[in-house]
Amino acid sequence: MIEAVKSRSRKRLITLTVNGEEHEIAIRPNAMLVDVVRDQIGLTGTKSGCSSGSCGACTLLIDGRPMLACSTLAVECDGKAIRTVEDLADGERLSPIQEAFLDQGAVQCGFCTPGMLMSVTALIASNPKPSHQEIKKALEGNLCRCTGYNAIFNAVLQATGQDGIKPIMF
Amino acid sequence: MSNLSFVGKSRKRKDGPDKVTGKAVYSQDVKLPGTLTGRILRSPHAHARILRIDTSRAKALPGVKCVITVDDTKGIKHGFVETPRYPPDQEVFARDKVVHIGQEIAAVAAINDMVAAEAVGLIEVEYEILPALFRPLASMKPGAVEIQPTHPKVDEPYTNIAGKTETEWGDVEQGFAEAHLVRTDRFESHLRTHGYLEPHVTLAHWENDKLNVWTSSMGTFVKRSKLAKVLDLPFSSVRIHKTYTGGTFGGKIDLYTHEYAASRLSMLTNRPVRIVASREEIFSAYRHGQPLTVELKTGVDRNGVLVAQQIKIINNAGAHRGSGVVVIFLCWGFTMAPYRIPNFKYEGYSVYTNYTTRAPQRGHGCPQVRFAIESQMDMIAEELGIDPVTIRMNNARDPEEDLPNSDNVHQAGLKDCLRLAAEKTDFLRNYGQTRKAADLAGSKRRGWGIGLSSYFTGSLIYPNGSGVMVKMNDDGSAVVLTGALDVGQGAETVISQIVAEELSLEMEDIKLVTSDTDTTPQDIGAWISGMTYVTGNASREAAGNAREKLLEVAAEQMNTPKSDLRLQDKMVISISNPDNRLSYRQVIAASVATHRGDTIIGEGFWRTMRDEPMHPSLATTKGRWSENYAFSVQVAEVEVDIETGEARLIKALTVHDCGFPVNPGLVKGQVDGQVSMALGHAFMEEVVTRNGSTLNTNWLDYRMPTIHNMAISEDADVITEQYKVGQPYRTKEVGEGLVSAILAAMANAVYDATGVRLHSTPFTPAKILSGLQKLEQKKAG
Amino acid sequence: MILYDFEHERPGSLQDVAARLAELGPTAGILAGGTDLLPNMRLKIRTPATLVSLGAIAAQPPGTDTDGWLRIDALTRLSEIENSDTVRAACPMFARSAHVVGSNQIRQAGTLGGNLCQEIRCLYLNQEHDFQFVAPCYKRGGDCCYPYPKNEKDFCASVFMSDIAPALIALGSDIELVGANASRRMAVEDFYTGVGMTPTVLRADELVGAVMVPPPPPNSGWGYHKSTIRGGLEFAMVVVAARVALGEDGETCADARIVIGAVSEGPSRARGAESALVGAAPTPEAIAAAASAAVAECRFLPHHNFSVEYLKQNAEVYLRRILSEAFGRAKTGPGKGGQDQ
Repeated sequence: MIEAVKSRSRKRLITLTVNGEEHEIAIRPNAMLVDVVRDQIGLTGTKSGCSSGSCGACTLLIDGRPMLACSTLAVECDGKAIRTVEDLADGERLSPIQEAFLDQGAVQCGFCTPGMLMSVTALIASNPKPSHQEIKKALEGNLCRCTGYNAIFNAVLQATGQDGIKPIMF
Repeated sequence: MSNLSFVGKSRKRKDGPDKVTGKAVYSQDVKLPGTLTGRILRSPHAHARILRIDTSRAKALPGVKCVITVDDTKGIKHGFVETPRYPPDQEVFARDKVVHIGQEIAAVAAINDMVAAEAVGLIEVEYEILPALFRPLASMKPGAVEIQPTHPKVDEPYTNIAGKTETEWGDVEQGFAEAHLVRTDRFESHLRTHGYLEPHVTLAHWENDKLNVWTSSMGTFVKRSKLAKVLDLPFSSVRIHKTYTGGTFGGKIDLYTHEYAASRLSMLTNRPVRIVASREEIFSAYRHGQPLTVELKTGVDRNGVLVAQQIKIINNAGAHRGSGVVVIFLCWGFTMAPYRIPNFKYEGYSVYTNYTTRAPQRGHGCPQVRFAIESQMDMIAEELGIDPVTIRMNNARDPEEDLPNSDNVHQAGLKDCLRLAAEKTDFLRNYGQTRKAADLAGSKRRGWGIGLSSYFTGSLIYPNGSGVMVKMNDDGSAVVLTGALDVGQGAETVISQIVAEELSLEMEDIKLVTSDTDTTPQDIGAWISGMTYVTGNASREAAGNAREKLLEVAAEQMNTPKSDLRLQDKMVISISNPDNRLSYRQVIAASVATHRGDTIIGEGFWRTMRDEPMHPSLATTKGRWSENYAFSVQVAEVEVDIETGEARLIKALTVHDCGFPVNPGLVKGQVDGQVSMALGHAFMEEVVTRNGSTLNTNWLDYRMPTIHNMAISEDADVITEQYKVGQPYRTKEVGEGLVSAILAAMANAVYDATGVRLHSTPFTPAKILSGLQKLEQKKAG
Repeated sequence: MILYDFEHERPGSLQDVAARLAELGPTAGILAGGTDLLPNMRLKIRTPATLVSLGAIAAQPPGTDTDGWLRIDALTRLSEIENSDTVRAACPMFARSAHVVGSNQIRQAGTLGGNLCQEIRCLYLNQEHDFQFVAPCYKRGGDCCYPYPKNEKDFCASVFMSDIAPALIALGSDIELVGANASRRMAVEDFYTGVGMTPTVLRADELVGAVMVPPPPPNSGWGYHKSTIRGGLEFAMVVVAARVALGEDGETCADARIVIGAVSEGPSRARGAESALVGAAPTPEAIAAAASAAVAECRFLPHHNFSVEYLKQNAEVYLRRILSEAFGRAKTGPGKGGQDQ
């Protein structure tokens, strides 16, 4: 069935700017971005949940867009800027979105959290006051099994200063 | 208890900052140099004899380091239950025959994923296919092909019975004869899965006669015991390291073959070995929940008061005993706890079928059985002309009642929950209105439904108890050693709150070392609904022990009795002379100086039901089950489109008695998550199978709720100030029981909206629409 | 990672891509957003030896051709279509259909061309095939059909699930296919074969260049619905799309295009129902009759655990609803764009 080349495909050198740092990496075409970011660059904050683009745990930003690292070939990202969850905090200072997640109890097992945060970060960057429906559309690709989404939804409202949502955790 | 500073407060998660910055380490994040990829060969057949396994071609493939089959094991069996009656029945690899699709045949370790995959494809297995059985009724039938031997103590002429639970009291026949109304109904539930976001993954490294393991689990000590046993290693040679777990919901307890395989392959290759289960593999070969058939016969008097109840439960239990025999025990418990039943007869059968081995799943039988009982309760109420709240009030247990197993419900808040839930939802004003209304416009119909439930708080099963150590540091800060595993429920936060409270420390003064089998004391794990109670109380004991030591040294140093001392801001202060004070730093230094180096270490232990020798009998229900029962009443408001049958949960109210809530914010998170899981159970999720194969092996086709399906989730507790007095550690279960009553409430709400009574889950649009059409036909005559 | 080796090329122009496709033949795969192709390659449903990437080619922004048709480059990402003011103003149904695809992340990556050329789906196909359904089915080049064991050789009864194609067909859109030597243009409707093995007429040396949507007829309105269980991150249970126009009297139906998608090997036009509506007043009864006729004349397969009986019931109800909406819009103007109201 597999019409693959018998000899292994040649590795190629790509350049990724990840969280502002430039990385030159040798990869084969079948390497997925999620594996390169996690295994080669060593940023394991981005999670691998389904490998098929159906859970959103691997969401990171490619040139500012929220994308699925499990369904993106690393070779296609040559020259692009990647942003992961590790870049959201400024040193020890959490971003308002991260703070809002903690204030609202939007984190439980935490496995969906990095992808969720990246989706929210992209949303707020382009839409500082998203409507309820816009929040849902932005996060519909991020599954969470723990929270029922209520706290996550409220965290986005808190982070965007809407609906008078106040912290519930202190 | 107004003087509490930490316990009872919604403190932020201790693990929160790590989890929002990507620093939290999950098993899939642990990397070791030189790691080999492990991969498992699985059975393509649901039931077949293995005639021959030939691994030679796989072994010869360049890059393959090791291939193992059942012949490379010691043949030691394991099981979810390991008791004299239910001895372990599973081997890590199939021996002689396979009993479900995806059963493990062999495992390889290779230099990379591609070689491992190729090697698995080179293993030759010759099978002789046997008839396979997927419906328990067919499997039970005398003369059916044997999947596993029927349990020797089941003397009925059935085949494939993994186990049976039976119990009775009073005289049900007499009760039915005296009853004003007797109903018999049958309810079916379907196959669902846990839906943990983090796939199963294990990294094992055998180094210097020690096996180091990182694995996604619900309790490292349970993992260690089972893994060490099948590897025939001393517990001291197996170390399960701490990692965070990306969701479990029941699906990561017990031993999984990939854990054995990674370990054994590492021992044979002296290299680290990682095995990751793909999502497709999890859907088609791993463990899901348990579909139950509930046959329910109930007799009541004119007021709907239960006179007699007879229940028969048949569990489609998969190909090994698994937790199937536990479910049929638990269903008895979930039946007898909330309502008084004077005459009762219960039979539960766990029946082998050629499905994958089953696991516990959040609620472990409770949603299925409450769906049946609470649905029938509404049916009975309607026949008698009683409202759904009153009939429940007429049967609900009062505080301090003894249960048939001689447990006691103590401060059961069930009736308070009922009252409050009815009041907050204006239930009796809303219920029935849609069906009464004539000629409603549009196609959307609202309905309200109610259900109730009770859940146990920890029971006795290995490792039975939890230990905690609190190590004071020279500066007065503390390190807590606990085997508790934070799977998302907030164990680290709750334990920190308790230690902070008992030692008057700030949360920031406390660091935890958790869930590492070598460096932390044994712990029951995050899976028996008892961690806050059992490990929480062990934490209190440990912190209390450290506090006593601090006070003792301080009393000596300050020349005042211990009773004159209080703790505040890492100071020990004399109550009679507040100027007489020592900092913790000073006290600890004094302890080292005068108590032969004692740096002050507190130890604490806890076990539920301290005087009970062991867990209750799964077969007869004899023996005590739990010392704390949680209660809840849930109300669902659903909307049904009567033209398409599409239904959704709009709003849920959960009123609960979860004992003293150590962290109300975390309790709220558990409530919301369970409502969401239940609405997926009700309206969306189903593992679709054909002849034992899973058809929907991904999250597009297995539909868990997305943010679009979020329901309004309100909650309230019935924990009064009076209830709390002297009880800050009298906590109860809140992490899994709340998937139950809400499921029944949704079914009852669909009925309220449409008149369609649902006898099986899930409540699909097709099922609701077909029910509506039948009603139309009936109306038309 | 994808567990087999393949080559990857990134030509700089569409013509170069087409030339490479011509040279490589059927062993090539076209990589655009990758949201359909790459998960399918991981499952070895598709196993191209060489991926020819469109990553180096920039999409032309939406624009209007000299004939007044809206032209959307096939490389346009779905997120750009759903948010494009031009598309939302000119054909809100098109924007709406892009808006309901997959999830935000899928729409950020996925392209229009990719959506229209997506692989058909079948529960037995969308599998890992490591230990269950191992023997390749007809679609995978093998010799069986799991859901329909009696199917004749190379008959693949599967479901084509593009959310956008039905909308484009209802709008009367054309599609442009770019080949190494020539381009061709056809109605989107004719692009689909209704054959599971080869759902489109796209040749191995062609790729989709653009989609052209005609200006709406006067007094026209649209209706579109994607039925799902959970409202997002999901392939459709049923897609229904309709565009209708009223005559100058504003009372009788002058034109109707009704399409049902996601229930068989390709989107189906309900021509019988359309012609019954034309010339009639769009009364609730006429609309109900049209919905019923449309369901009766289109092919339905059971899929993803939905029975044909239920799929038809669902399609009929939503056809009724979207036809009412469409006639309502035809009377009062198209209203707001394709986003959720």
